[in-house]
Amino acid sequence: MKYILMMTGTKADFDSYSRWSREDLQRNVEFMRRFSKELKDSGAFVASEGLGWPHEAKIIRAGKDGEPVTDGIIPEAKEFLAGYWIIDVENPEQAYSIAAKASGAPGPGGRPGNIPIEVRQVLSSHADLGL
Amino acid sequence: MKYILLMSGTKAGVDSYLAWSQKDRDAHMAVLAGIGKDLAESGEFVATQGLSDPREAKLVHGERDGMPVTDGIYPESKEFLLGYWIVDVETPARACAIAGRLSAARGPGGAPTNMPIEVRQFANR
Repeated sequence: MKYILMMTGTKADFDSYSRWSREDLQRNVEFMRRFSKELKDSGAFVASEGLGWPHEAKIIRAGKDGEPVTDGIIPEAKEFLAGYWIIDVENPEQAYSIAAKASGAPGPGGRPGNIPIEVRQVLSSHADLGL
Repeated sequence: MKYILLMSGTKAGVDSYLAWSQKDRDAHMAVLAGIGKDLAESGEFVATQGLSDPREAKLVHGERDGMPVTDGIYPESKEFLLGYWIVDVETPARACAIAGRLSAARGPGGAPTNMPIEVRQFANR
């Protein structure tokens, strides 16, 4: 079963992350490297990416003639995807436990960040929606 | 340049999609499949994936006694990821143009859904 683990945050969360000390950032990056390696070693790893800053995000809708129209205004409360992992595991519990590890990534002062990780099953086909 | 095009919606939005007629859903999926085929032919396609029903989403915060702490409560306004496309394009404008085509995919009665598509570049450029 494939799951996607998503880390999200508001612009304010990203701003506070950009103010972390070098030491705090290094600790977090080392944790993430180790975490990815563990996923690869266990065979659960499928893919992972980090996304660019939310202030570079564009929201696009189709205009009257199908041309892309950029919506400039994004509500402050909007949660932006910061990054994700796609994993292939035997059961949902395994996915939750891997998500809990990611959530425990060290934050400022080395304390677990306990940031929420959203866990969603990835569809193998449209039939998985019961349609 | 790699971009991810994110399609999101609230639970209410998902419920209204589930209530579409089979004909409308087929027509919508045919447009998306056509865009996927065009991207594969142009060499811009990297990956695409749909996600399961938001009702099955779990939010995990750390661990307690070695067990993940899950929490199922979401505000009604929460936008859930429905699916995404990853594309490898020459310019940001091209990523936005593809997002525009996705947003123009037909909905009930053949009118474009005009779903907002969030366009984000990968950090690892």
